Amino acid sequence: MDIKPILSSLRRSPTGAILVALQIALALAITVNSLYIIVQRIEQVGRDPGIDLKNIFYVSFVPSGDRFQGEVTMREDLQLLRGLPGVAAATVVNAVPLSGGGSASSMYTEPNEKGKRSDMNYFQVDEQGLDTFGARLAEGRNFDATTVRKIDRNSSEAPAEILVTKDVAREMFPGESALGKTVYTGLSQPVRIVGIIDHMLGSWPSSDKVGNVALFPVISDESFARYMVRARPGQREEMMKMAEDALSKVDNGRVIIRVRSQEYIAASTYADDRAMATYLIVVIALLLGIAALGIFGLAAFNVSTRTKQIGTRRAVGARRTDIVRYFFLENWMITTVGVVAGCLLALLLGYWLSTTFELPRLKLYYLVFGALGLWCVGLAATLVPARRAAGVSPAVATRTV
Amino acid sequence: MFAYDLRLALLSLRRHPGLSALMVLAVALGIAVCAITFTVYHAMATNPIPHKSRQLYAVTLDTWSAERPYNDKKPDDPPDLLTHRDATALYASGAAPRSVVMYKSGALLLPERQGVKPFIATLRVTTHEFFPMFDVPFTYGGGWEAAADQGPQPVVVLSHETNDKVFGGEDSVGRTIRLGKVEYRVVGVLKPWAPSPKFFDLTNGAFEDPEDAYIPYGWGRALEMPVYGNTNCWKSEAGDSYTDFLNSECIWQEMWAELPTAADRDKYQAYIDNYARSQKAAGRMPRPLNNRLYDVGQWLDRNEVVQRDNRVLIGIALLFLGVCLVNVVGLLLAKFLNAAPLTGLRRALGASRRDVIRQHLTEVLLVGLAGGLLGLLLAIAGLGGIRAIYGSDFNRSSYERLTQIDPVVVVVALVLSLAAGAIAGLYPSWRIGRTAPAVYLKSQ
Amino acid sequence: MFEMHNVTKAYRTDLLETHALREFSLKVEPGEFVAVTGPSGSGKTTFLNVAGLLESFDSGSYRLDGEDVSRLDDDARSRFRNRKIGFIFQSFNLIPDLDVFDNVDVPLRYRRMPAAERRERITSALDLVGLSSRMKHLPSQLSGGQQQRVAIARALAGDPALLLADEPTGNLDSLMARQVLDLLEQINGMGTTIVMVTHDPELARRAHRNVQVIDGQITDFKPYEPQHHVNAVAAVPAFA
Repeated sequence: MDIKPILSSLRRSPTGAILVALQIALALAITVNSLYIIVQRIEQVGRDPGIDLKNIFYVSFVPSGDRFQGEVTMREDLQLLRGLPGVAAATVVNAVPLSGGGSASSMYTEPNEKGKRSDMNYFQVDEQGLDTFGARLAEGRNFDATTVRKIDRNSSEAPAEILVTKDVAREMFPGESALGKTVYTGLSQPVRIVGIIDHMLGSWPSSDKVGNVALFPVISDESFARYMVRARPGQREEMMKMAEDALSKVDNGRVIIRVRSQEYIAASTYADDRAMATYLIVVIALLLGIAALGIFGLAAFNVSTRTKQIGTRRAVGARRTDIVRYFFLENWMITTVGVVAGCLLALLLGYWLSTTFELPRLKLYYLVFGALGLWCVGLAATLVPARRAAGVSPAVATRTV
Repeated sequence: MFAYDLRLALLSLRRHPGLSALMVLAVALGIAVCAITFTVYHAMATNPIPHKSRQLYAVTLDTWSAERPYNDKKPDDPPDLLTHRDATALYASGAAPRSVVMYKSGALLLPERQGVKPFIATLRVTTHEFFPMFDVPFTYGGGWEAAADQGPQPVVVLSHETNDKVFGGEDSVGRTIRLGKVEYRVVGVLKPWAPSPKFFDLTNGAFEDPEDAYIPYGWGRALEMPVYGNTNCWKSEAGDSYTDFLNSECIWQEMWAELPTAADRDKYQAYIDNYARSQKAAGRMPRPLNNRLYDVGQWLDRNEVVQRDNRVLIGIALLFLGVCLVNVVGLLLAKFLNAAPLTGLRRALGASRRDVIRQHLTEVLLVGLAGGLLGLLLAIAGLGGIRAIYGSDFNRSSYERLTQIDPVVVVVALVLSLAAGAIAGLYPSWRIGRTAPAVYLKSQ
Repeated sequence: MFEMHNVTKAYRTDLLETHALREFSLKVEPGEFVAVTGPSGSGKTTFLNVAGLLESFDSGSYRLDGEDVSRLDDDARSRFRNRKIGFIFQSFNLIPDLDVFDNVDVPLRYRRMPAAERRERITSALDLVGLSSRMKHLPSQLSGGQQQRVAIARALAGDPALLLADEPTGNLDSLMARQVLDLLEQINGMGTTIVMVTHDPELARRAHRNVQVIDGQITDFKPYEPQHHVNAVAAVPAFA
């Protein structure tokens, strides 16, 4: 239609068009890659932890005197906690999921460190541990209370039975059920898998093996132990207060240090991911805003300098819609060049990011969305100036000022 | 002449307030994003102990398993911690002019003061060299002597914050404090001290607070204190006592050596290599010889203190600035060419090409400067926001530490904004200066 | 073919109302060459705008080429301008970044004419004004007179019924002005009605009929004489 004259006109004074196209290209490249990083972070943060995130809280304590009697004292406290009205379950645990801190151990399918190996992030809990976590068993059963033992911090004693996640089971026994199978510690101690947890995330969210979790029927050593409590739905805050008060009233040789919710701890660990995502979202918003304003500014300016031309076109017979269409077409052509260049730049940038920083490669459909998005931005920015251009009176052509 | 250029520039900016505001805003946003990103990056990349960073070395030995390296992703790196046996052996040898072994632990602190809740104090269990080696500043008193490590003597050095909390900030030297089961006598109180990054112990976060108190090395063993840092064991070893733990291949102790000259360094390297060979002869250390000494800079690099993320963010910030600048170039070009008749008139009245270019560049630099100042204000607000949201919310001192206003960044930002203005304005100013005056004096 | 009857147009601002045209009536027969003169501020430009359907008017009637164009909407007016009217402006109004060919092409594009036909018309129009050799040139590469001739080609390419010229030689030197005027006469000789607005009495003399606009109203002072060609300077004293 009008493409040829617009093209030749652009070719004669290309600077403005090049600048707009360049802005669009850069904006597209940055936006697409940033969006990709954001989505990855959000996915990371949004992973199902496999536990009852909203209702779990932890009470950290420290033995303060000779009154403290290890397992006896801890069981006393547990009984108290389990007796509280809003508490669904409670146990002693050695570490907190999604906290950045915990313990891991390797086990093998054969003695003497032979066969397949799995590194598992283990949590030492008693028979209420599974319930307190709120994790779901896919196969098998929970621990028997009789198998729960207190093992000294420095001891190399191993539990007789354990629960593992599907991830661990798949690593050690691919293609078959791991239920009932025996695995071996590094010291060739046999350990039986009595239950398989569907899915649970461990202590280190950024680890590849974060889903490799095991539960050991062990009352952990008091230097690392804390009480884990699962409140009934909606009663967490209340129970946190009540638990602290109730435990503080009992003087049995230990001091309550603090009470924190699982949600808080996880959020703190994910704070960096969230901060990164927030930063990028702000940058993208500013970027698109600046680009849109810039395109708008240039388009408006172009219209204001070309009023004489617009008036002349109207005088020789262009209708208002012809003028609007002219500006939209001109803008669309510039935007398209920018989008195409931007896609190339986005791919280059994505490739560089993935190789230098070991981030996964950019998915192509992001480019499609990015391109569509910037087309819209470019067109939207032209809306008002194009309308203004259409409003230029044909009488402008006869003015001599 | 400059004053005149300035006046013309201001007039020109005022003539198109909307356009000028848009340009200043574009520069400001670009500078703000860069300033925020640079601040965090710079805080992460600072040398925490510049005058000594090439004399302090982290000592590492490759005591790991024959089957696989310590870090699959970086198979050439030896482990970052030492076994108890190796640490004490190297320390006792005296092969380095000065060295320190230490690790992180914790104990219940029962304060005497009313209204202060008991809390778990993080402790650094260390030999006495820690304080002189790392130039730790004291408000009151000082560290302890070698004899205290052996005893061990019940002495303690408090951090500034702990002293505030427990003793209200007074000179507490000589007073006692109860940590766990033992009463310690305060021998020193530190000035507020938080090296950033916390290079000597990166295991629990490079920018978190240093420990609440410091006690002599011997206490760790005497009280079988739990290790709050990392403990890593490649070998499954039977055992059930603390002594078994001490004798095991588990790595958990940190060691630093002060090696002022290259000769000291080489001598020490030879020493630890020889030590490793003798251990190998005894059947330990199955992996090939790979004992490394890292100076502070190398140590920070090895541990990737400046995270990958931050490098990506710097790149994105600069690209964003680029977009803002392209924006500004376009607007400048448009504005200058529109004012061409005026410029043509001036040329007709005697302004040279250089006058025209200079005048327009002045205007652009003004935009750059205004944008830079506004950008800095926005950056300060942004950093404050980050601190408010993440610092207080999650008690992460790292966010506090990394978002402090950095004078270097302020200077860089201002220079950058002027440079940006100059770059953006170069082409438009040249363009407008280039055309013959007559062209613009014709009526169409 | 051109009949304005009692046309009134007023411009209103907050402070005052200016009547640019007052009960303005003018009738032009097909093939006439009419010069519209008058002092500045008399309403000449407004007349031109109204005549060219560039602006609407408040009251009265206007018939052009057999059609009542008084109350047309904006789109219809555009269409009419496109097909029936050719404009020639004082400052040429060529589009600076289009070459000569594309400039003449502009009105034809709005007519949705197929490419071959456009090409033919453009070529013959440029032939007529003697600028076929400059088809690829930009306006900045042409002299004032050449630019105006391109503008004339643009006006003619669509085969209009009426040619409206606004001070066509105002920006030209006397030699070029004469060339342009010769051209206009030639075009008029081929049958195109021309209405030219000018304040130059020399120019006015070249037209067949002079009409004067004072205070928005018209005064005829020279009757229609088909073959009358004035080229002597002192023939009729110009109306000041």
